[in-house]
Amino acid sequence: MILEGIIEAFRLLFTFNKEIYEIIFLSLALSLLSTIIASVIGVVSGIAISTNSFVGKKLLKKLIFTFMGIPPVVMGLFVLLMLIGPFDDLNLLFTFGAMLIAQTLLVIPIITGNIIISSEKTQKEVLETATTLGANKKDKMYLIIAETKPFIFMSMILGFSRAISEVGAVMLVGGNIRYKTRVMTTFIAQNNSMGEFEASIAMGMILLLLAFLIHTFLSKFRCDFYD
Amino acid sequence: MIEVQNLKVVYPELTITFDDVTFKENAITFIKGPNGSGKTTFLKSLSKLIRYEGTITGNQDVTYNSPKPVLFHRTVLENITYPLHIRNLNVELYMEAINHFAEKLNLTPLLQKNAHKLSDGEQKKTSILRSIVFGPKILLLDEPTTSLDVESIVELTILLKELKKQMTIIIVSHDRSFIEDLHDDQIELGGNYV
Repeated sequence: MILEGIIEAFRLLFTFNKEIYEIIFLSLALSLLSTIIASVIGVVSGIAISTNSFVGKKLLKKLIFTFMGIPPVVMGLFVLLMLIGPFDDLNLLFTFGAMLIAQTLLVIPIITGNIIISSEKTQKEVLETATTLGANKKDKMYLIIAETKPFIFMSMILGFSRAISEVGAVMLVGGNIRYKTRVMTTFIAQNNSMGEFEASIAMGMILLLLAFLIHTFLSKFRCDFYD
Repeated sequence: MIEVQNLKVVYPELTITFDDVTFKENAITFIKGPNGSGKTTFLKSLSKLIRYEGTITGNQDVTYNSPKPVLFHRTVLENITYPLHIRNLNVELYMEAINHFAEKLNLTPLLQKNAHKLSDGEQKKTSILRSIVFGPKILLLDEPTTSLDVESIVELTILLKELKKQMTIIIVSHDRSFIEDLHDDQIELGGNYV
């Protein structure tokens, strides 16, 4: 069955099946866009939280770390309830926008939390050194962003991994509608439930290959920083 | 002259009080004391990196060099010129001095290398050069010979002898021969814990 899946994967790719390519494109667009939006929010908030002292910081960090592990289906349910409740007028349910919101909300805590975890100790040393060398607040902020680059790329990689592999939330708020909101993971889930394992294996292999290529690309930036 | 009076540092789990001390200008003073006697806390108080109670006078224009060098992710030269950039100083005007110091510390061939690719000793020397390049009036060195080989300690000793004409240098060190070679003054620090 696995061999048949591999053969099916090549057939789907090299017969340029329009539906398959649309699903791949939608998955990539959704995952990359949600990672980019979440990165902007997560990096700024992660650096702000780790470099400032304020009341409730410990509680906020605990909440972020809790949300790093939130089950996607719970996040999907939350977004679903929002879109059929207070934000019903936006008519976003079962659209790309709804999936983008759900995935972005899932990825934000992962990026924010990882930046806080990985940079707090480094930032303390870097800030102390910058202070003793005469840096002002603006200098220190620029320095922290520059020094946090490898952590930013690492967090983006983790965020993208979460986004591309996510199925529960996009299934709930996207509805897995053919030619509209069907992505690679929901395609696999649906084919599994229908017993079409060859198609699932094929799409799973394509998903792995794309994830590998994108991780390689993002990791290159991270490695360049150290060279 | 730097005068320290009634110095007290309060940490969440302990409080350290220090005896009153005076440091001579343009001299090298060593601070000695057993591990845990508060030497680093004392230097960080002098450099205003931590909050303290009491009075410290004459500690303007001071820089602290930590035992573990913290270099930024950039080249050695960019690390060294960082304090000049943030002061909007013309780096070109300082290049002669940088090359002079780099030569003394045997860092010249490493100037264009990524600072994080250097050995521990080379990183230490880079961080010391970065601390002196902008000409602070007071230089605080915390365990400067850590990770340095014998040749590098000799290079550093020669450099510090030259620098004391321009700045007051206070050093925490356990290296006896280094202390013997350099000291103008020594104080035994007995931080009192509460």
